[in-house]
Amino acid sequence: MTEKQAASKPVGADLILPVCAALYALYYVWSVWDFPAEAQFSGIMLAGLLLLLVTIYLIRVLRGLASGRYSMGFGDLFGPRESRRNRSVFFCLMLAALVLVPWLGFTLTTFSFLASSFIALGVRPFWRAVQIAAVGGLVGWFFFIFLLGTHFPKGPFELLVEALI
Amino acid sequence: MEYDLATVSGLFGHAFSMWWIMIPAIMVGLVAGAVPGFAAHNTIIILLPLTLALNVELALTFMVSLYCASHLGGGIPAILVNIPGTGGAAATTLDGYPMTKNGQAVKALALCFVASVLGGLISSIVTLFALPMLSKVGYYIHSVEMVVVMLFGLALIASIAAQDMLKGLIAGAFGLMLGAMGADHIYATPRGTFGFLALFDGVPLVPALIGLFAISEALVMLEETTLVKQGSQSRGRVTWRESAKEVFHAFTYWWQIVWTSILGLIIGALPGAGASIASFVAYQQSLFFSKTPEKFGTGHPQGVIAPESANNGVTTGTLVPLLAIGVPGGSTAAVMMIVLQFHGVPFGPRLFVEQPQLAYGVIAVMAVSYIMMIPFMFPMVRYMSRITVISTVYLAPFIVAFTLVGAFVPRGFIFDMGVAVAFGVIGYIARKTGYHVAAILIGVILGPLIERSFLLAMRISGNDPMVMFSSTIGNVLWVMLILTLALPPLMQRRRAWLERQTPKSHAGPDA
Repeated sequence: MTEKQAASKPVGADLILPVCAALYALYYVWSVWDFPAEAQFSGIMLAGLLLLLVTIYLIRVLRGLASGRYSMGFGDLFGPRESRRNRSVFFCLMLAALVLVPWLGFTLTTFSFLASSFIALGVRPFWRAVQIAAVGGLVGWFFFIFLLGTHFPKGPFELLVEALI
Repeated sequence: MEYDLATVSGLFGHAFSMWWIMIPAIMVGLVAGAVPGFAAHNTIIILLPLTLALNVELALTFMVSLYCASHLGGGIPAILVNIPGTGGAAATTLDGYPMTKNGQAVKALALCFVASVLGGLISSIVTLFALPMLSKVGYYIHSVEMVVVMLFGLALIASIAAQDMLKGLIAGAFGLMLGAMGADHIYATPRGTFGFLALFDGVPLVPALIGLFAISEALVMLEETTLVKQGSQSRGRVTWRESAKEVFHAFTYWWQIVWTSILGLIIGALPGAGASIASFVAYQQSLFFSKTPEKFGTGHPQGVIAPESANNGVTTGTLVPLLAIGVPGGSTAAVMMIVLQFHGVPFGPRLFVEQPQLAYGVIAVMAVSYIMMIPFMFPMVRYMSRITVISTVYLAPFIVAFTLVGAFVPRGFIFDMGVAVAFGVIGYIARKTGYHVAAILIGVILGPLIERSFLLAMRISGNDPMVMFSSTIGNVLWVMLILTLALPPLMQRRRAWLERQTPKSHAGPDA
């Protein structure tokens, strides 16, 4: 790596949001394309404004790349390397909880998510992770479902408690 | 609503009658403010199932008390461990932490608490008496002016709060674009919904804000094992007598507290200019007018007073644009707006006509919250330093698990939890790459409102775009908007030019 490359600011990650925003703006314009003009107007103006700003930003980035001030690296986007695996697993567990909640219900999903997250993030011994997750799940059930009456999907735990009470 | 002694005492009496919800809110707020990254808006988001379930007056009282207390709590880690609990306490570290290192942690905490409580109390009383005048602002703001005011608010966030104005503007415009999602106002046909039925009513606001603030915060905080680096803790135990002495001594700075809190109130009333800006401006102004400016940065009491009273002055200021014209003045006001919208509360003149008790009552609640915080000052000086070392491996999963409940509650759709996670990813990328999440959120909130006002103005004018420049107030605001956007880059260029000139002028004679 040359000295110039090492000194340049990585802007690859900085482009993610503007590019996504620009793509969404184009999709938005496409979705209103067949509408009457009056219904198109505000959306097209907003999309135009966003695309203008993104274009200005892209020009700035291209000029920076050309002059060597910027590079296309991702910088610190994913955070420290040593914790990346744990954090990725945590994110996957979050998605898994969304998939499981209609079947497991609030309490069991919260318990499983908390316990598996604690374990994935390095809480040891295992029984401590399970214990804290169980307390968290039960407190959540008591507060959100029993006290506040949130209509969360019911799972085996909620059905069992309903049958018992 | 006429102001007389009976009305004012009635407002305060009613506010005091809600002590049972204010005290727990104050306690939660103090802790939330003292934990870095766990600001008032995040805590209110976590407790959304509670605030959505309560009646609107209690919900608002709870949120407001929590908000005020969090501003007080934010100064604690700033002073003790050099890490601001909230953005508004960032300037407190400049003199607060040196005081701790000089063995004056108790004095610094006492200054912080007295400045916060007095500053907040003064600014809320000033606001309460100015509110009848401020509430009439809405009568002069029509659809054209509303469009400009909202764009102005977004531009302010972009230019002041975000470090890079262009990135701030892109974030705001992206938020506006996402906010324009859903059925259009005239023909009710879906736009930009990716075919999801659940998005036909637009982006659900509660999941969006949970994702942008709470989920992204949880993902970012996992990069460190604790919120506060271990080993940097205050030394020594404090007696009750010592803490009481320092608290009473702090009242001798009353004049500085008065003017910096009013400065905070004025800055807080500008949409987008939050506590962090107010506290730095107050710090800079205090340094400017101080007889001992050389002591600033070395552990000067005035350097703690100024930012703390200013950031508590902001708490009432930030509610003024929300109540008067329905534009949130900051992140927490945006969260409150969403809760109030959920309860069907109108904003602007309608709020003052239909529910004056609520409009004026909220400011009275703020004043009473600050009064109720006074007894908390003494034990806090003694004990609060112990809460800052919390492991993120416990905190982040709890935040995610319980905020996702809040995403589900308003509509009862599992889909909305997915929306929260999607916005969490957007928020994470935004935080890591310097785009302002508050700008995105304010854009999402204002998107439909701007569109409605814009379409109304166009309809009234027979689709003449020049209607946007047809009002005097609107034109003044357009000029201010252009200045807000144009001045920062021009000043930056001027500074860069001056910096280039300075070495040359120094180099000249030597060479």
